[in-house]
Amino acid sequence: MPRRIAIQRSVMAADEKIAEKIRKDLSKRGVLMLNLIGSPGSGKTSLLEWTLKDTLFRSVVLEGDVATSRDAERIARTGTPVVQINTRGGCHLEANLVEKALEGLEMDGVDVVFVENVGNLVCPAEFDLGEDHKVALCSVPEGPDKPLKYPHLFMRAEAVLLTKVDLLELLGFDRDLFWKDVKELNPRAERLEVSALRGDGMSDWVSLVQSWVRAKRP
Amino acid sequence: MHELSLVGAVVESLEEMAMEKGWKKVTKVTLRIGRMRQVIPEVMIFSFSVVTEGTIMEGSSLEILEVPLMSRCSFCGEEWEGLSFQCPRCGSDQVETVSGMEMDLESVEVEE
Ligand SMILES: Nc1nc2c(ncn2[C@@H]2O[C@H](COP(=O)(O)OP(=O)(O)OP(=O)(O)O)[C@@H](O)[C@H]2O)c(=O)[nH]1
Ligand SMILES: [Mg+2]
Ligand SMILES: [Zn+2]
Ligand SMILES: [Zn+2]
Repeated sequence: MPRRIAIQRSVMAADEKIAEKIRKDLSKRGVLMLNLIGSPGSGKTSLLEWTLKDTLFRSVVLEGDVATSRDAERIARTGTPVVQINTRGGCHLEANLVEKALEGLEMDGVDVVFVENVGNLVCPAEFDLGEDHKVALCSVPEGPDKPLKYPHLFMRAEAVLLTKVDLLELLGFDRDLFWKDVKELNPRAERLEVSALRGDGMSDWVSLVQSWVRAKRP
Repeated sequence: MHELSLVGAVVESLEEMAMEKGWKKVTKVTLRIGRMRQVIPEVMIFSFSVVTEGTIMEGSSLEILEVPLMSRCSFCGEEWEGLSFQCPRCGSDQVETVSGMEMDLESVEVEE
């Protein structure tokens, strides 16, 4: 006869421990880690390309994609050290993958680790990578209803960026509705509007990152 | 979407435990999964049946107990179910999540 055995053990424990270790190691070095999350094509790599022009802080980038090293090649062109992580079908990054990728990077003098998660508005939000903050990106062409349809990410983000705002008028995007929903889900999140095409909002974004960098310095 | 990777983690820990404890066969697995894990039970059960093929868990049934998302106001102590980041009683935004992120192995039924 089968016997029932109570276990009560977290299945995610192993990966969550790795995330905690990453967080501790980076904190000891005073390094900030940001986890950028948004749909495929929401403008994560474009935001990074713009951000990395700024030399006020030293960055390294981890690029998460299902396949190819296209995004890593784009980042490498900015002169920033980058590691491509291919999840081979996986729809989100996990801490164990990040840990391995970090091993390949020289961290001396680095201020920020930018992690571009796999393009996906759903599960990357629930996997802790050891980051200080999650940054949610939603682009104007996706429509203003995304926060309510995919609340988990917006609830956990430290900052919400509405990207591609150069398209606001063209697409008749209801930005009041968008920000109202974001505020309701997460009143504490920083709210920014940016365009990687025209540069709108980029100085605010860079200042925000800088303030986070300062807060991490020992 | 990520049910397969969660199932992989479950199967991996069960295989370790089976080795340690000398179970011959697992006939039932019960998980407690928080609403915030965004898991679709049907997809989870299907993935489980595929991944466990050829293991001691092959043919076992998977039961999923859903744990609601519960929030608590750190200011006034009010508890409620759901997504709001603002306390419905006092309006404070000092809100913490008390449950909803679980991904726990609750129990197994085994033949020894
Ligand atoms: N109009 C406009 N287009 C943009 C902007 N930012 C990015 N794009 C375009 O949107 C497309 C996707 O941008 P990416 O930066 O590659 O998006 P991503 O989020 O990194 O995409 P994945 O890594 O595939 O998930 C590209 O064709 C960009 O040129 C912007 O601010 N305005
Ligand atoms: Mg990209
Ligand atoms: Zn996933
Ligand atoms: Zn309250």
